[in-house]
Amino acid sequence: MGKRKAIEQIVKRQKRLRNTERVESKTEKSGDKEKWTNKQRVLIFASRGVSFLARHLASDLRTLMPHARADSKLDKAKGFFEINEICEMRNCNKCIFFEARKRDMYLWTSNTPHGPSAKFLIENIHTLAELKMTGNCLRGSRPILSFDPEFDNLPHYQILKELFTQMFGTPKLHPRSQPFIDHVFTFSIADDRIWFRNYQIIEEDGSLTEIGPRFVLNPIKIFRGSFGGPMLYENPKYVSPNQYRAQLKKNAGLRFKNKVESQMGHQVRKMKDTYNIDPLDEIFTTIKPEDAKGQEKLTYYRRKRSHPKDTGEKIAAAL
Amino acid sequence: MHPLTHVAIKISMEENTLDVREENEEDSNSESYSSESDVETEVTNRQLQDAFADGLLQPGLNFIDKPVKECANDVGSMKDILQEFTQNIDWIERLDVTCGPVHPPGMTEEEKNEEFDVEDYFKRELRFYRQAQAAALETLPKLNKMDVQTRRPEDYFAEMAKSDVQMKKIREKLLKRQMSLDKSEKAKKLREMRKFGKKVQQEVLHARQKEKTEMTRRVKNISKGKMQETGEELKKQQEKGKRRNQDPKGKNPNNPLTKKVNKKREYKNSKFGFGGKTRRMKFNDKDSHGAEEDGFDARRNQQSFSKQRMKKGGFKKGKGGGFKKGQGTAAGGIKKPGMKKGRPGKNKRKTMKSRRK
Repeated sequence: MGKRKAIEQIVKRQKRLRNTERVESKTEKSGDKEKWTNKQRVLIFASRGVSFLARHLASDLRTLMPHARADSKLDKAKGFFEINEICEMRNCNKCIFFEARKRDMYLWTSNTPHGPSAKFLIENIHTLAELKMTGNCLRGSRPILSFDPEFDNLPHYQILKELFTQMFGTPKLHPRSQPFIDHVFTFSIADDRIWFRNYQIIEEDGSLTEIGPRFVLNPIKIFRGSFGGPMLYENPKYVSPNQYRAQLKKNAGLRFKNKVESQMGHQVRKMKDTYNIDPLDEIFTTIKPEDAKGQEKLTYYRRKRSHPKDTGEKIAAAL
Repeated sequence: MHPLTHVAIKISMEENTLDVREENEEDSNSESYSSESDVETEVTNRQLQDAFADGLLQPGLNFIDKPVKECANDVGSMKDILQEFTQNIDWIERLDVTCGPVHPPGMTEEEKNEEFDVEDYFKRELRFYRQAQAAALETLPKLNKMDVQTRRPEDYFAEMAKSDVQMKKIREKLLKRQMSLDKSEKAKKLREMRKFGKKVQQEVLHARQKEKTEMTRRVKNISKGKMQETGEELKKQQEKGKRRNQDPKGKNPNNPLTKKVNKKREYKNSKFGFGGKTRRMKFNDKDSHGAEEDGFDARRNQQSFSKQRMKKGGFKKGKGGGFKKGQGTAAGGIKKPGMKKGRPGKNKRKTMKSRRK
């Protein structure tokens, strides 16, 4: 197939993009030379009580990944085993699930029938709608997935790398995908966390702009089964946000406690007499008339006449 | 051993043994030292004496360490699972690449291996950018060899991830920022020039320009017949203009040319006020409320008056104490002639709308 013919075919397919279900059936029937073989379908949904950021992030991911499906909010009371069934019903083999707990957001990624699953704490979410990220890409175009070299060093990172590749990579010739490759997903490891970025490729020489969304994943646990099963890996450096908040409060309380204790200690240690003075030492101290001050001066200057008030008091005292 | 070497003891109550862990003064920043003034586990003097006798304790400051949490790290089974669920497909299907960031040509070896600080926003983002660049530079030639399209042709119009409305907003924001920068730069330049008296020259030029425009305007008016052709009139106009502009302190509020403007007040009025220029800016109009994206069509969604009244008096769907579906005039029950159900759902309406387009 020459390039021109390919473009023509693409344009034709593009016109039918409005009704995607029709397109799906047609590509399977029409007998194209190349068929869509890598059947990945991701179910992206959230639990009840997620904040607007998570909801918008979920919808952004669904926009960027044409092989993603949406589902209604899950009532957490049902538990995680339900999720596997829901995925099976929707014929999905991967799942991204946003869970909200208190003020924190957790992300579960899983390979649904039997495969491994991972739980992350998701932080620093920025959605597509942010005006500071100026790039744009075709809706449903295939991304280049770029991984940090750290991903090859440790086994748990290798598992995560494989999971992300299968999940975020758009399958080739997916009916809703666009044939051009114009953006890059970046997964980097820094500070024991996984940072996700999405860049648009402007020129072939490598100039990029950021499209969004952005988020940071802090791995918590990796399980052998989907949403359960034996635990393969636990992140020793992970501090749950509850613990973190409790620690902050404790530190604040500790500061106050230290202050009170130091004050009490000061009171205990403080001496009433700075040094011992024998009161008898003062009897024979002689002060020179030049150095006398205040009451002591009176010893050198006596009144010539006695004051009538004085005599009155003396008489009263005598009586 | 130095007498001040810190030693940390881990005492496990079940076995009644002491695990001693020596630490240097350097890593005294660990958490175990910070808040352990209140000892959670009771350590008896007897135990300490025994430990000292056994030689487990050294003279110096000893801390009780928190028990180290055992974290699962099953390398063997992780490798097995990796083998199991890895897909053996061509690279073209996966499109993944592992590479470090691209280094600019001037960087030394030291700088390349330097650990970057996560808190430094600029450096961090730059590093991610460079990693993406490296990936792009590696993959694009590969793809071009495989005859895979990477560049979008100019006439290819397709739906983008961000809508046109969104991109318009972004462009406006960028423009605004650019304009404010330009303005501030201009203002700075003017201030500089004032110092060197070039402003005078500019004013003269400006005045000349103004005069020219005024003359042309008058000539136009005269030719149109709006003004009478008298030399006196022109003179008077000129004099009037002169007097008008002689009010350096701006005390005459009626003269718009020399009135002193309180810029702070003006800004506050524009931001918080409701009159004047901002008379109509605090209300939604077609552009601001995103009607383009929603596509609410008032004409299509009009209902007859009687039906509106019925709808108002009806019960809310589903909620409100267990009403059965058939009861009352439920909101979803309004049926237009020729429709099987009530109002179609959001997705259906979207597809209908796009189909109509």
